[in-house]
Amino acid sequence: MNEALAQRISSDLLRPVMTTTWRFWLLVAFLGSIVAMGLGTWFYQMYMGFGVTGINMPVYWAFYITNFVFWIGISHAGTLISAILRLVNAGWRRPVTRCAEVITVFALMIGALFPIIHLGRPWLFFWLVPYPSERLIWPNFRSPLVWDFFAINTYLTGSLLFLLLPMIPDFALVRDKTTGWRRKLYGVLALRWRGTTKQWHRLESAMQIMAIAIIPVAVSVHTIVSFDFSMAPVPMWHSTIFGPYFVAGAIFSGIAALILAMAALRKVLHLEDYLHPVHFQNLGKLLLMMSLLWSYFVFAERLTAWYGNESAEVEALLATQKGSFAPLFWTMVVCNFVVPFVILSLRKLRTITGCVVASSTVLVGMWLERFLIVVPSLSHKHLPYTWGHYRPQPVEIMITISTFAAMMLLYTLFAKLVPIISIWELKVGEHPAAAESTAELREHALWKANP
Amino acid sequence: MKAVYALYSDPNDVQRAVDGLRKAGIADDDITVISSEPIEDYEFSHRHHETWIHWIAGAGGAIGLALGTGLTSFTQRAWPIPTGNMPIVAWWPNLIIMFEMTMLGAIVATVITVLVAARIPTRAPKMYDPEVADGKILVGVENPSEGSASAIERALMSPGVARLKTIQL
Amino acid sequence: MPHRWGMAVDLDRCTGCGACVTACHAENNIPTVGDAQAARGRAMHWIRVERYWEGEYPDVALKFRPVMCQQCDAAPCEPVCPTYASHHTDEGLNAQIYNRCIGTRYCANACPYNVRFFDFFHPQWPKPLDAQLNPDVSVREVGVMEKCTFCVQRIHAAAIDAKAANRELKDGEIQPACVQSCSARALVFGDLNDPDSEVSKLSRSDRGHKLLDDLGTLPKVTYLNRLQA
Repeated sequence: MNEALAQRISSDLLRPVMTTTWRFWLLVAFLGSIVAMGLGTWFYQMYMGFGVTGINMPVYWAFYITNFVFWIGISHAGTLISAILRLVNAGWRRPVTRCAEVITVFALMIGALFPIIHLGRPWLFFWLVPYPSERLIWPNFRSPLVWDFFAINTYLTGSLLFLLLPMIPDFALVRDKTTGWRRKLYGVLALRWRGTTKQWHRLESAMQIMAIAIIPVAVSVHTIVSFDFSMAPVPMWHSTIFGPYFVAGAIFSGIAALILAMAALRKVLHLEDYLHPVHFQNLGKLLLMMSLLWSYFVFAERLTAWYGNESAEVEALLATQKGSFAPLFWTMVVCNFVVPFVILSLRKLRTITGCVVASSTVLVGMWLERFLIVVPSLSHKHLPYTWGHYRPQPVEIMITISTFAAMMLLYTLFAKLVPIISIWELKVGEHPAAAESTAELREHALWKANP
Repeated sequence: MKAVYALYSDPNDVQRAVDGLRKAGIADDDITVISSEPIEDYEFSHRHHETWIHWIAGAGGAIGLALGTGLTSFTQRAWPIPTGNMPIVAWWPNLIIMFEMTMLGAIVATVITVLVAARIPTRAPKMYDPEVADGKILVGVENPSEGSASAIERALMSPGVARLKTIQL
Repeated sequence: MPHRWGMAVDLDRCTGCGACVTACHAENNIPTVGDAQAARGRAMHWIRVERYWEGEYPDVALKFRPVMCQQCDAAPCEPVCPTYASHHTDEGLNAQIYNRCIGTRYCANACPYNVRFFDFFHPQWPKPLDAQLNPDVSVREVGVMEKCTFCVQRIHAAAIDAKAANRELKDGEIQPACVQSCSARALVFGDLNDPDSEVSKLSRSDRGHKLLDDLGTLPKVTYLNRLQA
């Protein structure tokens, strides 16, 4: 390809890695302090006892489980974009794949932390690991929480490898363009990658297989997270729709998070030449589609509950639609359906700013949706004498906020260490598909022998 | 140990150079083409196309399946603890664990294979030029046999060559 | 023939006095959480007396129902525990092993009767109340779940005595604390596998019903209807 263009792409996309301003350090310090406060709050909770949260009888799960489901949901961004678009060979995915895969990995790490935070005795979380213990006991594989452990670990491993493999050629690029400690560091990370045709083939075959493998894993992960609820005989939880419903919701919130991340990167790292409005428009159309799909699932679930007239279920349903949870419920409907529908279906409004607004409301709405699945049902189980309510305590709010800060911090650090847009994949896309060279390819004797 | 290579800007020149090397009697496996991005449209990229990786991924999945099945049913039988009127070896939940272990097996097998097949990381010094990072394409032969060095150089000196080098690895 | 422990609660006899609740606290080392925590819904009454008002003034009726762990044969709390802390014994009890519990609280969510409780703080008994702790029962630590065990310590003690004396257990020999302290003798405990035991006969009574039995949990506590509304 045009060498000047290649060089420009390299220097543009390597600039955030090579140069650091005071703004970076300020952001890291700010986010880092919030994360530190969150960690401190967690230690406070472990020291004082779980009672410092708002959990009570009957609402034994609240903010932490909401956050768990929310972050695991966000993690579906990368899979959809990278894997599915890779498999259908959609060219517009190229600048977007790594941004998305990074969201997946960090969202999974944060999400996987919450089952530990919400434990009564978190120092014993390792009992979920199947190892031959001196107590001769193994985890109970019938428990959805053990399924969670396996699913999330498989997905995290897969996503991490899916992210790291295509980073190798970019590490080689950084190695070749730097000196000093950077050259050493990236030299190690690049694993002595050279870029022979054999290496490229192997890498691309592996990426193909990983893309095919990671999609069922991603679907299974959020389905299994939904099984945490649907396996229990709790009104409005024990529903067969939960698997697909949660997966749709996860992809929905994942795309919203991706749009926000891309918009932020575009602004802060000056990537206007690489992240074009058409990328946001395409993602915006996907977001609209997922909003409609999500709304369809919510409607189907609620209609069934209302029509079925099962007394406990109707109480839980009405608690969200007319009772104490109604303000949150209707906010969620506006955030997840009304606003995205209006903004994203009108082409004039489907600008980058429009997509950002719609994505922000979707993230708020999807957090509320998780909360409204967990808490109203637990407050209204089968025996009315045991109905209760829940008020979040400062501990839970602080830890929730600090995970958002943690996500932004991890993302910032990543964008500093690794080019956030996959340089080699972008260059492949820019490569003019020379019609003559393809014809020449077909004429070549060896190609004819082994097409 | 030495290597002879040339750097080109245009993939068409690369194709010509590769063909020239083949005519000079160099085996396909000895011709190395290095680029900073995969160049799909040319024949020289499609050598070394056959790969066992799909089979290995499948084998990894099979191993994962066996591990998942063994882990669940073996441990459930090792200390049978009744829960909730369910059977001791409960196949519905076990299927979930078996599925996850299968996928994990396939994924890990794929990654290990790609690292081994791409020979990374490698200890031996290999032919490389940092100008590849600027978009140049390298065509060369590592460890050329004694008589062929001049034939290689002739093949590589096609129009469009940016630089011809002989280096000591 | 192995035992299968069950209970019968005669709602016609229950006066709602709450002696069973107090006795259970005393027998099982259940802490009182204080009024602030109780107001936040953290009281730990392994057996509680549910109170329902029916009708409008002046035709108001007050109904009591003592609810404790139903020791379900198809307990939804058992399969969901990741560490096997909640499991089924061969005498039909739902056992809670405090040492295995890591406090996920999934069992409490799965229980439709809401009879499982969580130690939110480390239990405290300011002196001299610690002198009245029952040495036969453990004291739980913060972060674990606990619930009614049908006074399994009393079951074991009686079984050991019977074995030592080389005889069978007699019906009525084992009395959990709530059964023992009920002034109206509304609570009955015994072996459901013995067709002649009082609890077996009551479980076959015409007045008998099970709580939330449409959920399929197969509870082993039979409630006997009031004879007149």
